[in-house]
Amino acid sequence: MAVEAQEIARPETRRRARRARPGFVTTGLLAPPVLWLVIFFLVPVVLIALYSVNVFSLYPGGQYFTLDSWKNFLDGSPFLDLFWKSVRMSLIVSVAAVLAAYPIAYFIALVASRRKYVLLLLILTPFLVSYFLRLLAWKVILGDQGVINTFLYWTGIRAEGDPVSWLIYSQFAVILTLVYVYVPFVALPIFVSLDSLDRRLLEAAADLGASRWQAFRKVTLPLSLPGVIAAFIFVFIPTIGEYFTPLLVGGVNGTMFGNAIADQFGQSLNWLNGSVLSFFLLTVVALLLAVFARFLTVRRVATG
Amino acid sequence: MEIATSPNGTRLLKVWFAILVVFLYAPLLLLLIFSFNDNNLPVFPLRGFTTDAYRQFVSNPELKASIVTSVKVAALSSLGAIILGLLASIVLVRRDFFGRGGVSALLLSPLVVPYIALAIGLLVFFNEASLPLGIKSIVMGHIVVSIPYAILILVPRLERLDARLEEAARDLGAGALQTFRLITFPLLLPALVSAYLVAFVLSFDEIVIAYFVNGQVTTFPLYLFSTLRFPTLLPQVLAVACVVMAASAFILIGAEIARRVIERRLGTDLSESAAEPA
Repeated sequence: MAVEAQEIARPETRRRARRARPGFVTTGLLAPPVLWLVIFFLVPVVLIALYSVNVFSLYPGGQYFTLDSWKNFLDGSPFLDLFWKSVRMSLIVSVAAVLAAYPIAYFIALVASRRKYVLLLLILTPFLVSYFLRLLAWKVILGDQGVINTFLYWTGIRAEGDPVSWLIYSQFAVILTLVYVYVPFVALPIFVSLDSLDRRLLEAAADLGASRWQAFRKVTLPLSLPGVIAAFIFVFIPTIGEYFTPLLVGGVNGTMFGNAIADQFGQSLNWLNGSVLSFFLLTVVALLLAVFARFLTVRRVATG
Repeated sequence: MEIATSPNGTRLLKVWFAILVVFLYAPLLLLLIFSFNDNNLPVFPLRGFTTDAYRQFVSNPELKASIVTSVKVAALSSLGAIILGLLASIVLVRRDFFGRGGVSALLLSPLVVPYIALAIGLLVFFNEASLPLGIKSIVMGHIVVSIPYAILILVPRLERLDARLEEAARDLGAGALQTFRLITFPLLLPALVSAYLVAFVLSFDEIVIAYFVNGQVTTFPLYLFSTLRFPTLLPQVLAVACVVMAASAFILIGAEIARRVIERRLGTDLSESAAEPA
């Protein structure tokens, strides 16, 4: 899988740029994909916003503008605590995933020059294969009657019926599973930034008397930071809203913000409150994206 | 001096690489082992070899129905995603216009927006629009999340495509559509197939959006999720999980290798040889 990081060059700066065409061709080509996103992504976001201030409501006749749900939520509600707990867990997951993946990406990009695409494919394949089935695997492995605990009973390390209780239905289980799910994905953007590194810079650093460690700290690491930040964002943002991982292996302790949202729309049937939570999450995501946009929009991580 | 690592550093990196490969593959291997174990629960000790679980799932009508549903959803949504992704990619690569950055951000945003927010949004949307939930609503949601993957696969291919080929066709009198049909499309085909398969596998496995807008329809991951309440079905689930993961890996890796070979044969890649490892 060839992977590269270049800026998506603006057509006028490219050598073989096509002449500018009448605007209606561009518009015509662009309209279907953009409209699709507008109808099935942006319009729903606006609807969520309207539900969150009760301008829209599940209950006919009950619509009127109010910020009460927002006030309740922001005024120290348990949901807000849950949000911060999710942020903490996502931070741990993203940092752990980046730390685990960096040496892998470094090894593939800068050391294993011969078989690099094979090695990259080896790391990426689990990610491409399945999210849900890998979740299931961990539920089977970590359970009280799961692979690890029954192995411990069988070998006599633990007494039968005395499972290692924190293995499942804990924050640990959620964090471990999420790191497992995201490590391959994280390795990709880091690999891309390291692979596009100009090796001559390292040679120059060596010629100028830099040690390996100095060359890494002053050349390689700074130049790979955009990839590291992109990788971090690619894990951090989606995991704040994780739903199925906490549901399957999290139990009560491992619940995350996404579970609260699902619960409001599901069992509680409180779309007003659920919309407040959803729109809050979307706002946080939008803010994070705005802050980190330059690491995401100019770089592309692509299979080529 | 090899500046990237010292010999000891290389050894450490190799060890870490090996540890991570074990971490990534051991759970999958355990699933495989327990899918052949002669026990209704995935527990140690192993009792013996059996293929019962595989025979059971082949004759489980609900499971088969859910797979058929997911294949339909995936086939339709990935088709939609590559058509919309292709249109967007052509514009993003070949044309400059006001708002280009915003458009590309919008089209790529489903990569990072938590699926739960997308799923809830669709649920609210379909409810407000009084549209029924079912295969169609899942397909519409899956197209949204597959478009960015299609774009990420098609854009680099389009960028490396020699624009002079298209110009030559135009100079020889071909119209815009004819040029696309005879020149651009055939050259893009391997990347389109690649994008289709990635979107297909993504949709086949997707559960969050499917969970919220499925109506009465049960997709494959939703069926697996529903079986978690019935431990007796677990061996079948493990068996089918192994088959599906092996098939997905086979399809994706096979397609990737085929694409690289074909694109090299097509010989339109002026830059690829430079990007190849020495």
